[in-house]
Amino acid sequence: MGKHLFQFVMVPAVFFIVLTASSLYGQEDNPLTAVDVKTAKPKPAPRMADGHPDFSGYWKGTRDTTPVGNIGKDLPGFKLPLTPAGEAALQHNLTATIDPESLCIIGGIPRHNASGLPFEILHGAKKIAFLYWYSYYRLIPIDAKRKHSDDPDPSFFGEELGHWEGDTLVIDSVGFKDEKVWIDENANPHSDALHVVERWTRPDADHIHVETLIEDSKFYTRPFKYSRTWVPGKPEEEIQEYSCSENNVDKEHLGFGPGPIRPDGTRGYVDPAPLPPPVPRSTPGEK
Amino acid sequence: MKFRIPILVTGVLLAAVMPLIAHHSFAAEFDAGKAIRVTGALTKIEWTNPHTYFYLEVKEENGEVVKWSCEAGSPGALSRRGFKRGDLKLGDTIIVDGYRAKDGSRLMDARRVTLPDGRIVSGASAGDGGPEVPKQNP
Repeated sequence: MGKHLFQFVMVPAVFFIVLTASSLYGQEDNPLTAVDVKTAKPKPAPRMADGHPDFSGYWKGTRDTTPVGNIGKDLPGFKLPLTPAGEAALQHNLTATIDPESLCIIGGIPRHNASGLPFEILHGAKKIAFLYWYSYYRLIPIDAKRKHSDDPDPSFFGEELGHWEGDTLVIDSVGFKDEKVWIDENANPHSDALHVVERWTRPDADHIHVETLIEDSKFYTRPFKYSRTWVPGKPEEEIQEYSCSENNVDKEHLGFGPGPIRPDGTRGYVDPAPLPPPVPRSTPGEK
Repeated sequence: MKFRIPILVTGVLLAAVMPLIAHHSFAAEFDAGKAIRVTGALTKIEWTNPHTYFYLEVKEENGEVVKWSCEAGSPGALSRRGFKRGDLKLGDTIIVDGYRAKDGSRLMDARRVTLPDGRIVSGASAGDGGPEVPKQNP
């Protein structure tokens, strides 16, 4: 009887708690992601004067994207095809490096595409600008005639060149740094051989989508893909000022790596200790 | 043991539905096995990015007064929850529930903050993968 009571009362109660998690902490406080609402008759994507889709807007990830921050999201078991050198680099990141973003170093591409943070796009005829939280940006020329430099200066976003293939904006990037970089929040690595091809589309007014091809012959045995969809934020939402190094007290306390990775590919503890119960409102301020 | 399973299920499912968007993961800095409550007088407030900090003087059971640093979300994240800089003034007694830093220092994650007027607010860094905690008693 006790077992049945557990099954029919406790388990549904747990699911109720989970489904109403937004009434606890987190989603109600977190306007940075959105639920993807697909309509039967989606509005067509707005277009530029030249006829191409206009990607401008403030874009939020959706809760359909799991695990966020894991570049292996689309691979079976989230398992990346690491070479021995890639495995060694991963172990180095996990055991000897602090998350570069937490030290106010640019996350770069493809990490920003895997992030849970929204971003803003300002789309011009010859350039497209991606504006990120942490006050970072990337500015990409759209010009099919431009070719990559022979020896581009290494950077976190790489040397990025854009061109149109029909209604798809292709951004081809090479020339990446190989130190103080994690390819995602889980501390996976990339080398200076990284080559990223992003294929951006706006299938309707309320979605933008990227198909990303990631090649890095030093650290990965084969190219792999990462895809993602974003939806518009509210009209009044936009990127705000965020000075990452204003008061970065925590950098002195951060451990190496991201901490434990859960079986579902996200970062954090599976079984945290419970906090003391909330203080009843009638007796605030007492220990 | 009976309650072990729902706790685990809750943790896994919450992990699945919660977005992860923080400056760094909770688990890179804090130990979710070390839950703690501190109550003390505010001696300093830093309403800054990437985190806000509350500094408390806390009287231990042995009478010793120690200083605690409490790390909370960014000003923008707190403001969106209705937790404003003006809700606090130096000398206020606040209660902070959270988790200790892994390095053993007197730094904690300010997961839940009880203000002098009894209002309870989340101090969590939004979407850092840290434990989700109820704001009020059921």
